[in-house]
Amino acid sequence: MDRVILEKTDERGSSLWQDAWVKLRKNRLALWGLAVLVILCVVSLLTPWIAPYGYEEQDLILGATPPSAEHWLGTDIFGRDMLTRIMYGGRVSLTVGFIATGVALIIGVLWGAIAGFAGGRVDAVMMRIVDILYALPFMIFIVLLMVVFGRNIFLLFFAIGAVEWLTMARIVRGQVMALRKQEFVEAAYSLGLSQWIIIRRHIIPNTLGPVIVYTTLTIPSVMLLEAFLSFLGLGIQPPQSSWGLLISYGVETMEEFPWLLIFPGLTLSLTLFALNFLGDGLRDALDPRTSKD
Amino acid sequence: MDYHSMSGQQSTAKSLPARTFHALCLAALLLVVSGCGGGESNVSLGNRTGTLHWGNGTEPQSLDPHIATGVPEHHIITSLMEGLVLKDSTTLAPIPGVAESWDVSDDGRVYTFHLRQNARWSNGDPHIAQDYVWSWWRALQPALGNLYAYMYYSINNAQEYYEGTITDFDQVGVKALDDYTLQVTLENPTPYFLQLLDHYSLFPVHQATVEKFGTADERGTRWTYEGNIVTNGPFQLLEWQINSRVVVERNPFYWDAENVGLNKIIFYPTENAVSEERMFRSGQLHYTNDVPTDKIPVYRNEGNPSLRVAPYLGSYFYRINTNVPHLQDKRVRRALAMAIDREQITEHILQAGQMPTYALTPPGTMGYYPKSDLTFDPEAAKQLLAEAGYPNGEGFPVTEILYNTNESHRKVAVAIQQMWNKYLNIEIKLLNQEWKVYLDSESAGQYTISRASWIGDYVDPNSFLDLFLCNGGNNRTGWCNAEYDRLILDVAPKMKSHEERLAVFQEAETLLLDAMPMIPIYIYTSKHLMNSSVKNHNGNLLDQTTFKELTLESDSSDSTGGNH
Repeated sequence: MDRVILEKTDERGSSLWQDAWVKLRKNRLALWGLAVLVILCVVSLLTPWIAPYGYEEQDLILGATPPSAEHWLGTDIFGRDMLTRIMYGGRVSLTVGFIATGVALIIGVLWGAIAGFAGGRVDAVMMRIVDILYALPFMIFIVLLMVVFGRNIFLLFFAIGAVEWLTMARIVRGQVMALRKQEFVEAAYSLGLSQWIIIRRHIIPNTLGPVIVYTTLTIPSVMLLEAFLSFLGLGIQPPQSSWGLLISYGVETMEEFPWLLIFPGLTLSLTLFALNFLGDGLRDALDPRTSKD
Repeated sequence: MDYHSMSGQQSTAKSLPARTFHALCLAALLLVVSGCGGGESNVSLGNRTGTLHWGNGTEPQSLDPHIATGVPEHHIITSLMEGLVLKDSTTLAPIPGVAESWDVSDDGRVYTFHLRQNARWSNGDPHIAQDYVWSWWRALQPALGNLYAYMYYSINNAQEYYEGTITDFDQVGVKALDDYTLQVTLENPTPYFLQLLDHYSLFPVHQATVEKFGTADERGTRWTYEGNIVTNGPFQLLEWQINSRVVVERNPFYWDAENVGLNKIIFYPTENAVSEERMFRSGQLHYTNDVPTDKIPVYRNEGNPSLRVAPYLGSYFYRINTNVPHLQDKRVRRALAMAIDREQITEHILQAGQMPTYALTPPGTMGYYPKSDLTFDPEAAKQLLAEAGYPNGEGFPVTEILYNTNESHRKVAVAIQQMWNKYLNIEIKLLNQEWKVYLDSESAGQYTISRASWIGDYVDPNSFLDLFLCNGGNNRTGWCNAEYDRLILDVAPKMKSHEERLAVFQEAETLLLDAMPMIPIYIYTSKHLMNSSVKNHNGNLLDQTTFKELTLESDSSDSTGGNH
């Protein structure tokens, strides 16, 4: 009897992802978003081999020129090819976006789930820690990290992730607290599952909806945060670039050389749209509560 | 964007990028809205109330005249304080300041200043000759860390006192004969001595105020803060909001108060030239500290009268920290200097008529023309680097260029980074810091190569060449050459004729350029945007403004020129 039940749950658990994929495939916008993201990632990966020019190659005499046959997206004031710069910028921006968000996701979900599930004193202590970190001025935190560990691009990814997980933790905690008292969790308890397995198998999948939505919002904000930090000299430094930096330099000259703002802006917007559509689709597909039909 | 207001107090990380993003989206909209905005602009309100809105470039490092070293500080300090002598705002010739007249002895070594009896401190205290003796004593206290102490070296025994070989200040050549007579004895006849007196490093400070907030030689006490500072100039400090604004108002006790044309000046720390230019266009500033390089052709093509570009007695160069192991070899330093294509930088990046330079002193300073064998020669540079042990740049450590946050410094650094990479095959990193942090890093020798510039404090080659004295506070490179010091401090001042003096300077500058602790890049031009309501603003070679002369005309408000 016991074995039969366990086998059945196992089967259902694995089919969640298959279900999700079937549902996602029916969602055109989400598929389109996924395709765009995959293309962007592939292009970024292959950039060193397929980029038409070097990202630091200057031609000061040429200067800023509008799009032309040689430079499809024009050149910046140093005569550097914009298409190349955007491709290289994508490497930094996408890496920052995914790594920092990944860090935030892992810390935030675990922290929130444990706090919400344990409740009581553990919850109180854990959430006060979150409150304290919230109150800590973000800039000071990053500057301190940079001073102690030196300027390093991976540290930057980590530092951004390390401040972005706070909101995630709160969202997850709220969800978990609501879920904790539901019948299926009681059922899992009564079947003798350990707390850790309950969190992993029942609680976290049920919080996926809001987490995914928040993740898709975090990625763009992290990309812009990187631009802001780089502008202050704490992030990546010239001649390297990222979309955020290209945009912030583009804004300086948007009246004289609008293409320097328009193209990186379009690329970033495209990415954000793709992420949003994919996020929407994933939320619908993965939400276990809408999955019974 | 304007990051001053964004640093520090943001409690949630999320709002930062959100804000940046909104700002990006709204920037275009804002430009349209600001053109037809409803409320009265700073400029037209200022014109009615006599308030000048001045873009000052950055937050001042300090308002203590014996600590500050920068141009932004110079603007604020000269509005607050006054020296014995002023400079005519057009010709730069010395004119009476706190001293209404002076006598010079026949041998040119003894100056006797007659102070104005009606000069007062801004709290009403009498302003007497003893104030100068005390202030100059303070400026020469080594513990104060006055980077400009060498400005006093023309005064008899001042150098000896500063270096500790004399401990009795009475032997230094400054004496108060009575309350209103000050006698200064010089080491040698110094042709530019009167010009020095208009420099803030020789300004007097109010003894009672300084001592109220700490000892005389204590750095960074609260005496310069709002509500504490007492000054002797046409204006007094009303408000100092860090990273927001410095407000000065008319000083009723100033001896020439009835001829002061403005009621208030508000100095803004406009570090970002791009947003500064936008502030100007939306009528928030009368005067900008700078013009973004990409805007200059636009204003030129329009024939916009707001744009004011003029020759400027200043050199832009890179300091090299000669204590860094791989930069100790002068062949490396010269190789770096030879691999910069200066013409491309001035012509295609800066675009405001700056002149490429291969020496420190701007040519033509009092008829002085430096001799330089430096040229742009990538092949020879490569050769030199190979001789120094780095053939084709192999094994050359990654080297960092430090610059203070500013778009045109960034552009020059990016261009040079690429030139060095292309011609010498070496890897360069860039690091930018906020102005005060940058000045501290540079003074503490915590840099490898650093962007630097020097603006003449007076019109004489000496103002540039005494930068690189061994113990000069503004040397900052660790380079030290006893022969150079001897030429500048001992030989040049004793020369009888102007030509002989210039020849000594040439000899000294050749030594400097041979060792190359600094890489000359270009000679400045001053570039500003000025609203047509500002009157009596005379441009000059030092780009110094005599604030008490300025007036505002309310009729011609808002004529900031065409919108584009």
